[in-house]
Amino acid sequence: MATTVALTKPKRGGRWSPWLFALPALIVYVGFLVYPAVSSLWFSLTNWDGLSATYKFVGLDNYLKMPSDPVVVTAVKNNLIWTVVTIAVPTVIGLLLAIALNGKVHGKPVLRLIFYTPAVLPLVSIASIWGWLYNPQYGAINSFLRLIGLDGLAQAWLGQDSTALWAVMVPAIWLRTGFPMLLYLAALQSIPNELYEAATVDGATKWQQFWNVTMPSLRPAHYIVLALSLIDSFKVFDMIYAMTYGGPGTSTQVMGTWMYFNVFQYYQAGYGTAIAVVITLVAIAVGIPYVRSQTKEAS
Amino acid sequence: MSNVTRRGFLGLTSAAALGAGLSACTGGGTSTGAGATQAASNNLRLFTYEDDSTIGLLKAQVKKFDEQNGTTTTVDSLPGSGAAVYPDKLRTELLGGKGPDVWRIWGGQIGAPFAKAKQSLDLSPYYSKYGWDSKINTTAIGGMTFEGVKSGVPFISLGIGAWYNKSLFAKAGVSAAPTTYAELEAVNDKLVAVGVTPCGLGGKYGWDIMRLFEYLLEHTAGPELHDKLLTGAESWDRPEVVEAFTLFKKWQDKKWLPQGALALDPSDVEPWYVQGKTAYTITGPWTEAGAILAAKKSSSAFGNFELPTDKTPARHSGFVEGYMINARTGNADKAAALIDFIVQPATQKAMNVTASTVKGAEPDPKTLPLAAEWAQKYGGNPFYTIQDQAFPKKQADQYFSVQSDLLQGSVKPDAAAKKMQEIVSAWAKS
Repeated sequence: MATTVALTKPKRGGRWSPWLFALPALIVYVGFLVYPAVSSLWFSLTNWDGLSATYKFVGLDNYLKMPSDPVVVTAVKNNLIWTVVTIAVPTVIGLLLAIALNGKVHGKPVLRLIFYTPAVLPLVSIASIWGWLYNPQYGAINSFLRLIGLDGLAQAWLGQDSTALWAVMVPAIWLRTGFPMLLYLAALQSIPNELYEAATVDGATKWQQFWNVTMPSLRPAHYIVLALSLIDSFKVFDMIYAMTYGGPGTSTQVMGTWMYFNVFQYYQAGYGTAIAVVITLVAIAVGIPYVRSQTKEAS
Repeated sequence: MSNVTRRGFLGLTSAAALGAGLSACTGGGTSTGAGATQAASNNLRLFTYEDDSTIGLLKAQVKKFDEQNGTTTTVDSLPGSGAAVYPDKLRTELLGGKGPDVWRIWGGQIGAPFAKAKQSLDLSPYYSKYGWDSKINTTAIGGMTFEGVKSGVPFISLGIGAWYNKSLFAKAGVSAAPTTYAELEAVNDKLVAVGVTPCGLGGKYGWDIMRLFEYLLEHTAGPELHDKLLTGAESWDRPEVVEAFTLFKKWQDKKWLPQGALALDPSDVEPWYVQGKTAYTITGPWTEAGAILAAKKSSSAFGNFELPTDKTPARHSGFVEGYMINARTGNADKAAALIDFIVQPATQKAMNVTASTVKGAEPDPKTLPLAAEWAQKYGGNPFYTIQDQAFPKKQADQYFSVQSDLLQGSVKPDAAAKKMQEIVSAWAKS
């Protein structure tokens, strides 16, 4: 009886209670996210140089000049290539490693540690390590190629437009494989063994079991891996900045680095902020399916 | 109800993502950079980019100043970042409202934005008060004067030249430094013939390998035309520039530069001449303390020479560095007193400044013999503005991009000259 009363007749002012509990977090949210976001939107409509006390409102000029900026075109293309490659390759390798580690393999804990370790290394350290490996004259990669007689393949990996972006993607793949591997491994371990036993009784081969039992069971994991990787890939900045600084020339610029260059180096904060707005809108657009799926599950 | 909740959550999470993305751009709490003047105190903060070889000397002198003046000065440094990163950090600090009272900065177009945005104080009253005009090299003061406003106090005026490894020159049978451009090319050929890469420069960031091109431009264009090119007063689309780009490509094609130079980090490559991996590099007198002495090598194993331009007057690339005062500091007088202390000849000597703008502060031949030799032989020669100070950062990066395309063979020298004209004329018109 008491419970029924509590549900149907809340105390006076009780409907505000959730807001009171949320208030501390909301204050932080508004102060550190909403206010800077609105400021950024405003600055993207100005010609602010990022240093001066004054600026002019220029409407949508910053957005309108983006398509005619050749570096933006290069950056968008690089972002697309980066996104496709750094999602597809680590996901496939991560899945294969997870399947291998889910079987009867000796030294599983050590192997898991080895495969996941790159993911916890600081990105700047990774960039330095790979920068040395790629050194054209003294780097291990070219030295190895020369050692095995493939001198013709030894080249300036980071020093030419044709290979620089791909060369940066290799360490990105190396460090990002551990994350999908862990997720897939957890998902694989949750698949009931009875499903495989039933499939075996029905005469299914290992290949058929993979496609008809394993893959459907991994669907939620696929979704999480793909959605998070997609968002992560699109906002790439650190690896490019640390390894090539957007070069040679502007050949490895991506939207994140080009935003940084404009805001922080060229004193074109208005234009750079407009680039940031575009990056954010695209990231939201690709993230919406993931958020929808999560809210559906929650409801 | 269920739908409304989902949509609400979706909207909230989207807004959160939008906020997170955009807030990364502005940083929390910054708006227009028009902060209030800070309160006066006895606490000063000096921001610099000294490395391990000199930061201790600076801190010792600052401590001495504090003892004499009752102040407490904190010295923060961002070493090794070069002009590509340090100004960003400084800018972020200034916009954050807690910028340093005094900061070190390069002259020319690197320091100019801080003066233009009125983040740095007009130091004219302090020039009068301390008589800096008569104590400091006039040309150097010009390098930190922007639109007629003396915004900085230059304390160092550095010249760029060739710093070489004597044993590798000897290995190639080179007994004397080249005095003409043709002799320099002959030296390069001899070095390559004995398996030594002549000139160690790195193209990452663009500014290091630029030192070669600007020298080649001085060689082909000569002083008067070179200066006009840098200000946009003459067109870059001309034979002298095409010839300079042609030579630039030649240096790479003949393996006078390290393999894959475009991707190499200057901080890795510059010490190679000390390590014996290249015969020489193009750098300034700081390399004696920063590369030679830091590697526990004797200065006598190395030498330097002004790159021969075959032109009169003989010039080398140069730039100034100095100190600015925060326009919003509450301690302007104490900050100016600190700068005045730093530019005293005794302080400059104690800090081992290799190319001081202050008379009576020449480098000590006993501690820095090569820097002293450079100052004595070439310090009096005129210099042209180093190109990453001659152009704003955006135009400098566009220029580096042209260099990169040329060295990779994707543009020809004549197209590179045309492209440079587009870049410089667009800037000159703006």
